[in-house]
Amino acid sequence: MSRVQLEIFFGMILITITGAILIFLGINEEQRMAEFDKFQAAQKIEVGAELYEINCRGCHGLQGEGVLGLAPPLNDAYFFNGRLAEVGWQGDLEDYIIATVSTGRQVSTRPEQYPGAGTPAMPTWSDRFGGPLRADQIEALAAFIINWEATAKGEVELAEIPSAIPGIEDLDDPLARGLALYNASGCAGCHAITGISVGAVGPDLTTIGTTAAARVEGYTAEEYIRESIINPSAYIVEGYDDLMLKTFVETISEGELDDLVAFLLAQE
Amino acid sequence: MLKALNFTELLDRAKEAIDTRVRIITAGLSINELRALLRGDPPTEKPNPRYKVHVTSFLFHIRPKFYQQASTIFTHTWRLGFFTVFFFAIEIITGLILMIYYTPSPEEAYTSILNLMSNVPYGKLLRDLHRLGAEGMVVFSVLHMLRTFLTGSYKKERSFTWLTGVVLLIITLGLSFSGYLLPWDQLAYWAVTIGTSMVEAAPIFGTEANLLLRGAPDIGADGLLRFYLLHIVLLPFLGVLLLSIHYYKVAREHSISLPAKYEEEDLSQDVLKTAKKRVDFLPDLITHEVFLTSLGLFVMIFISAFFYSAPLENIANPQQTPLDTKAPWYFWWLQGMLKLGDKTLMGIILPTIVFGLLFAVPYIDRNPHRRAYKRPVAVALGLLATITVVVLSYMGLPQYAIETPAATRIIQDLAPEEGLGELRAIPFEQLQPGIYQVNVSDPDNLCPEMLWGCPELEVVFSEYSERINEAEEEGRLPEVEALMVIEEWQADLVKVTPRIIWTDPESGDRKTYEQHIFLHRDHNRSH
Repeated sequence: MSRVQLEIFFGMILITITGAILIFLGINEEQRMAEFDKFQAAQKIEVGAELYEINCRGCHGLQGEGVLGLAPPLNDAYFFNGRLAEVGWQGDLEDYIIATVSTGRQVSTRPEQYPGAGTPAMPTWSDRFGGPLRADQIEALAAFIINWEATAKGEVELAEIPSAIPGIEDLDDPLARGLALYNASGCAGCHAITGISVGAVGPDLTTIGTTAAARVEGYTAEEYIRESIINPSAYIVEGYDDLMLKTFVETISEGELDDLVAFLLAQE
Repeated sequence: MLKALNFTELLDRAKEAIDTRVRIITAGLSINELRALLRGDPPTEKPNPRYKVHVTSFLFHIRPKFYQQASTIFTHTWRLGFFTVFFFAIEIITGLILMIYYTPSPEEAYTSILNLMSNVPYGKLLRDLHRLGAEGMVVFSVLHMLRTFLTGSYKKERSFTWLTGVVLLIITLGLSFSGYLLPWDQLAYWAVTIGTSMVEAAPIFGTEANLLLRGAPDIGADGLLRFYLLHIVLLPFLGVLLLSIHYYKVAREHSISLPAKYEEEDLSQDVLKTAKKRVDFLPDLITHEVFLTSLGLFVMIFISAFFYSAPLENIANPQQTPLDTKAPWYFWWLQGMLKLGDKTLMGIILPTIVFGLLFAVPYIDRNPHRRAYKRPVAVALGLLATITVVVLSYMGLPQYAIETPAATRIIQDLAPEEGLGELRAIPFEQLQPGIYQVNVSDPDNLCPEMLWGCPELEVVFSEYSERINEAEEEGRLPEVEALMVIEEWQADLVKVTPRIIWTDPESGDRKTYEQHIFLHRDHNRSH
């Protein structure tokens, strides 16, 4: 065979194989596209989880369990079964979450239990309304929150988490334990400590270790901090309202209280 | 009556009519001639109709009539120029289709890529081909230039062709780089941010040039639109124009160079005669081109179908710079240079000089010889430049000469902010909840409750432990404690927290570094 004929021959073989690959791909396209959709939804939930950690857990709890006296739970059956009916929402839950997160809440709908973080009760989050999040980020957050449905309705049981704050018992240093508690128990949602949290509802705690001693006459700094956690209403710093959860101390153990106090004392 | 009808004459007239039509379409080739072409037979008529088409047909006019035998030797050209054009054609075709599905705005761009992947049949293939073709075009144009340099094929009458070639290289890089931004993911956004920040360092008009390119101080809607228009209008237009000039000179003026030995050695007349024998475009060169095209298509579709996926990271987030941000690979050399000195000098002035020198190669190098041993300085400089680019590219990697704190580095390598990483490659079922402590938990039996254990988690955990211990021995993480906590966070969602606690040698404080990584069951990362 001449070179021309050889090249025509092998060229045709190659084109046939290429065509076969294309047909093979074509047969699998429907499935591939469906898989990509699933993959996409999963990624959205992961992104939402990260955003929740950064932005929401301070008020709504580490795992959406809510903080009494601050913000409602997002992972309970009521949220998925009764909430829309109660507020008379026309759309579906995703719409509701996106709308609420985007525009925030001027006043709480349940001021006795969950008064929120002052006025507004919940800030606006969408960059359309002066918040920090883009539309796609709020959609991801909604996808993450909706993913609590299975556990909220009891369809899925999660494995027992070894500790409320993973690895906390492994921390030797009381200050490190205190910091972990501060972040995990909702303190960070309302209070600010430079470099740790940015909450603006309660007083700034960046220098509480030194300022505490001067607040109430006759109290040492430690006594003042301890009392403020156990009975938040005992002393209200000027310019702030009596908003802190009265039962907070019941959510932590004696030892954890000590750690938290030690941590706050160290903020000088 | 019947006798009056002369069938032979009718048949002849019909044949003639068909022949006339065919010749009009094929610009002068008869049916017999077409048959002869494909069978490799000699021309059927005189003068040779296969040459005549090069005058009568536009498409053949811009192709060569023939090349000399020796210049078509595979190991002389390696078909590098051909494949560069092949990739360019692939880019134009796939690009035209991709344009149907793409919207150049920050709100829509990323979504339109997702839509392409999840709603358009062959959408992923199109994207993969387009991306692969772009990489191929950069690689092959650089190799083509290197080949031309080493065989000394840029001299004398070819010096202007070389010059257009360097412009084409710049256009290729520009095309590739402007396309990089369009998916609007983190990879794209930050790579292009780095790339364009170079422009800012230009003396005198730096700020203005940067503003002109980005459309605003930061890349946003305007910047995206500008890159899009560069990518689909200006650069392709310039590319086609320059390519036409470049190719026309090869096809019509000076042809492909002969290997240097046929020009400079004393070879017998017979050898020279064979070397200069004509290889006609019809049928030899054209069948070869069709063959190479089918080969190229096969290789590209095969790779895209089974091995390659164009990267797509999270949507661009101007507020968050991923840790290991880097430019596209063909600009790593530039990133490497930036680590060596001042931004204006290394990022603008030196590259300008380098490209200026590239342009001027045929005019600087006045040595008339083409054989490598007769131009040792030029060859040595060429090789040196190649090695320098490779070394600079290596230095451009984020792993080189950028001190990342040990704990950050280890966790970043385990689960990069963008991209895959070992942790995300573990099958979801093996991510068993638990607290795994380095040097405490048994690395060979992390999941005793699981029937088959969790081998892939164990491998990753062992590597994590190894790197922690290594860093402790080297004194970078004194008194280290390291954990990997895996929690079930929601249905089908786990949270993995690698946490490293160590004593900071300077202040003596205990420091903690951790990352929270969420992994969903359906997020199959093999795609």
